[in-house]
Amino acid sequence: MSACSSAASRGTSWPGLTADANNAYLAEGQYIYAARLSDGSKLWQYPDKAGSQQFFAAPLLTPDGQLIVGSAGTDQGLYSLDPATGKEKWSMPFTGAKDRWIAAPLVINDTIYAPNNDGSLYALKLATGELLWSLSIGHPLWGAPVTDGKLIFLTSLDHFLYAIDPQSQKIIWKVDLGGSAAGSPALSADETTLYVGSFSSKFFAINAANGSIRWTANTNAWIWSDPSINDTNVYFADIDGQVYALDASSGQNSWPNTTPDGPITGSPLLTTDGAIVATESGSVYSLDHNGKVTWSTAIGGKIYTSPVASGNLVLVAPLGAQYLLYAVNEKDGSMLPWHFDGK
Amino acid sequence: MFSDPWGFFILNPFTNVLLLIYNLIGHNFGLAVILFTILIRAITWPLTGQQLKGAKVMQDLQTDKEWLDIQKKYAKDREKLASEQMRIYKERGINPFASCLPTLIQFPIIIGLYQAVTRALAATPLTLLQLARSIYPIMNAAAIIPLNSHFLWMDLGRPEGIPFPAGFSLSFLPYGFPTLAIIVAVTTYLQTKLTLPPSTNPNDQTASMNSMMTIYMPLFLGWLVLNYASGLAIYFVASNVLGIVQYAMMGRVNWRNLLPGGSEPAPSNVKKNK
Repeated sequence: MSACSSAASRGTSWPGLTADANNAYLAEGQYIYAARLSDGSKLWQYPDKAGSQQFFAAPLLTPDGQLIVGSAGTDQGLYSLDPATGKEKWSMPFTGAKDRWIAAPLVINDTIYAPNNDGSLYALKLATGELLWSLSIGHPLWGAPVTDGKLIFLTSLDHFLYAIDPQSQKIIWKVDLGGSAAGSPALSADETTLYVGSFSSKFFAINAANGSIRWTANTNAWIWSDPSINDTNVYFADIDGQVYALDASSGQNSWPNTTPDGPITGSPLLTTDGAIVATESGSVYSLDHNGKVTWSTAIGGKIYTSPVASGNLVLVAPLGAQYLLYAVNEKDGSMLPWHFDGK
Repeated sequence: MFSDPWGFFILNPFTNVLLLIYNLIGHNFGLAVILFTILIRAITWPLTGQQLKGAKVMQDLQTDKEWLDIQKKYAKDREKLASEQMRIYKERGINPFASCLPTLIQFPIIIGLYQAVTRALAATPLTLLQLARSIYPIMNAAAIIPLNSHFLWMDLGRPEGIPFPAGFSLSFLPYGFPTLAIIVAVTTYLQTKLTLPPSTNPNDQTASMNSMMTIYMPLFLGWLVLNYASGLAIYFVASNVLGIVQYAMMGRVNWRNLLPGGSEPAPSNVKKNK
């Protein structure tokens, strides 16, 4: 029985990754790491020694210079760190939730909106982490919320997409997605349409004002990846590895045969040349505007985390590879000489 | 299939049967775990019977006069002792491995059951992705997920604990008072104690090991339950209670073991009952 207890490990998942112009912030296992992108050196790690924390959610850089990250460990804490030093900024982390933090939070003005695995959305003071209010929604919340500045849009594993008014702290509308949604919705540039996929193997375009469905598109498999949007198309992938480029107004797929080499859970990273996706097979693919592969780079391990851009670099955080973080050039996929190993 | 035979033959079928039960009984995961444990126990019933029968034969042999005589006579000649033991096995038609083989067959089944419960709870994105892949297409995974993990007072996806009064906390019990861990430890103790065969030899090393197991196994499982999803604890409790019931139905429960001194070894000069 002891042999299989490790299989029942309560906390393993893929890393969360965020970057600014100079540094990457990696939520990986029991630590948050900050890595300098010029040479891959470690700036800091939090905590100094492994404790009860476990980090999956992508850390959030806030406009006032905080790095907010939730723990999926037994501490159930939401932490504010100084991105420069890794020191805690609040006097104490917020530990008022009943469960773990798997989703990244959202900041609007001076308030943090953080969805928790206990099914509640918590509103906290950005400056101190003090609880303002919480709204119980139901099932676990794994997707980061998005906002149009007025409403907060949030997916749930309970199959619904919710629109929440933070002023009244009420649900304004909700729409059934036919299956759990573990990713985030994307909001169109004009803030009128939400795009979101679910485990029902359907992709939805939804009127942000009232929750009515504008169109749906069928996919081959569950959709985990968050959509990415440009002026004309919405891009996402399914866990069978098909990449989709749907016309944002009609839902017509212009990439019917774009299937790199494995399942995709991360969001496509849009570039001027097309889109970059990372696969479970451990490779990164650059696709042109027609969905054709322009370059691919084998990283190793399994990649579930969305690739993240920093300048001309594409950062990749695989699971089970030799290193924790890799950087490739956006134009040709050539790998930078440094790899970050967390040491 | 061949890249993951364990998943193909054991884990995936077990997970799907568990989810099928969950679906049939109206989305109650706690009850599904209990019914699934009963099902597995029923399927392995003949194996348990064989195991007990084999163990009984070997146990009886420990009090056999001829067996005791050769132990004494060839105590310093291990080779001769082994050949004499083999002779007795042959003469009496005893297979010394008769109690081991059913255990070996059951072991992967028990591990599979345990892993199926863990997988179905899918507490993290990675485990949910693994679950998605192991659900058969006929099961309509999109409708089943997320599983309703609430059972009685527990969320089966996380460790159980009844919250302490406001202002009181213990760092080593972050989830509160561990009711389920205590129930698991007690039922494990009872099962181990009640199903131990009575020792007939005060120098019997197996008896000594069994005695250690009676103490350490409940503590180990109790510790596991403190830290892991309470759905596993439901499985442990159901498995322990069913184990006691099963042994009782086969007439193999030693109630005397619960009494002080009840598991003391029997005198070594016990005469063989033929």
